[in-house]
Amino acid sequence: MRLKITKTLLESWAYTFNCAEGYEDEAYADFLSTLNREPSEPNEAMQNGLDFEDDVYRVARCDPNIRNPKWESGIEQVARIIRGAQIQVPAGRELELDGVTYWVYGILDALKAGVIYDVKFLTKSMGGVDLYGKYLHCSQHPAYFYIVPEAREFQYLVSDGDSLYIETYRREDTPHICEIIRPFIESITEQGLLDVYREKWAVP
Amino acid sequence: MAIVRPENMDFTKQTFSAIIYGSPGMGKTTLALSAPSPILIDFDHGVSRVSAKHRVPTIMCSTYEEVLADVDSPDMKEFETIVIDTGGSFVSFLKDWATRTKKDAKTQKGTVNTLKVYGHVKTEFAAFTEKITKVMNKNVIYVFHSQEQADKDGNTVQRLMCEGAARNTVWNGCDFGGYLQMVNNQRTICFTPTDEFFAKGTHGINGNRPIPTLDGARPNDFMTRLFEEARQSIISEKAESEKLMAQYEDTMDMVRTCVENVVDIETANMAVESIQNFEHALTSRTESLALLKAKTDSLGIKYSKAAGGYIAKDGGQ
Repeated sequence: MRLKITKTLLESWAYTFNCAEGYEDEAYADFLSTLNREPSEPNEAMQNGLDFEDDVYRVARCDPNIRNPKWESGIEQVARIIRGAQIQVPAGRELELDGVTYWVYGILDALKAGVIYDVKFLTKSMGGVDLYGKYLHCSQHPAYFYIVPEAREFQYLVSDGDSLYIETYRREDTPHICEIIRPFIESITEQGLLDVYREKWAVP
Repeated sequence: MAIVRPENMDFTKQTFSAIIYGSPGMGKTTLALSAPSPILIDFDHGVSRVSAKHRVPTIMCSTYEEVLADVDSPDMKEFETIVIDTGGSFVSFLKDWATRTKKDAKTQKGTVNTLKVYGHVKTEFAAFTEKITKVMNKNVIYVFHSQEQADKDGNTVQRLMCEGAARNTVWNGCDFGGYLQMVNNQRTICFTPTDEFFAKGTHGINGNRPIPTLDGARPNDFMTRLFEEARQSIISEKAESEKLMAQYEDTMDMVRTCVENVVDIETANMAVESIQNFEHALTSRTESLALLKAKTDSLGIKYSKAAGGYIAKDGGQ
């Protein structure tokens, strides 16, 4: 038996510690929902992100019929970078850690010539927020670097529909995914949630 | 003839884009002026604070139009590096320029349309940087003051003192960005991001770099040596990266042909075997399998580990 582990699970766990003050209960409820693999409808921000990504992939595949012309500039900028890449690539790799076999799994937004790309959408204007360093502690690039060992670079392509911000991480500057999974397991063990994880995330 | 083969590419004149930021009084401008053959664009009116012996030719300006006129003049030819001091003040100049010159910068009531102004600022900031680096083929160094902020746990984080989206987008094209600080009484610039500050390194430039104290004998050449180190790193990586890229391109060409020929279970089985036997480079193996999966999905077939090959799915084929 293997235990599946995804960046969504790790990020929802991390968010219980990193969330803004006053959102602790909401973050914990979201994490429990993710841990229990409860289906959920995307909220408005998530749906905007999905719609933006759809248009980016459409343009990257040379289909000019975008559905959200209000984001045309941002869509074009991101699509130009990932054109020619394989898009929405499901990938996984086994990891042995402390006697347990994990199945580290993810869907790469785009993959081309040793570079993994992840498309992010901001619902508020980029002019009002400091983005640089935003993904320093994100589990996504460590997880994906593990899944695709030949990848050398990971780029977060962040758009607000108008501007584009690129945050790049290289393999040599990225912690191994074990350094994130181990504290995650310790944390859910302390919280008495390890059995839930084993039950809900077991895969053949 | 503009097509240059990888083996003929010359990186000995490679130019760079960099960010230096830190607290006031740390010597950011002097450090930036240690780049090769610099000219300073003194948006911050701070050149008087640079020690006289380290001053360089300077564009002293009161409007962005004056800067553009100077940058376009033949006098610029002799300079290899343009130092923009500070990036935050440059944005203020651009705001003034956009408000004065852009028709849509004012509302019908005559008030400033902030959204439109910042749109012009963002576009012009990017265009100006592009012009220096891509058209004029010069190094560019953006100097920023830092400002302390507290994160939600009360920890200090250092941010670029700059308004608008430029403070994010300026990092996109930059090769290195370093935070200048005192570490054990030693001025140090760090090119690796930490919890306290963001930074960016590439071409072998990363981690903490101590800045030598400038005494009478020592030339102000830290950034010149840094650029040269990065240039040498690019040259030494050239052979390996070109070989990998060429192999990747060749393999992906073969993969695309191979996948195009997949029309049924038999050809899919042949394709998966061929792909495994190709000589792969970079991420060509993962990309090949993704390409093949997309094709087999469209044909209604899937790979079965148990069957050791492709089978029909959901009644397909």
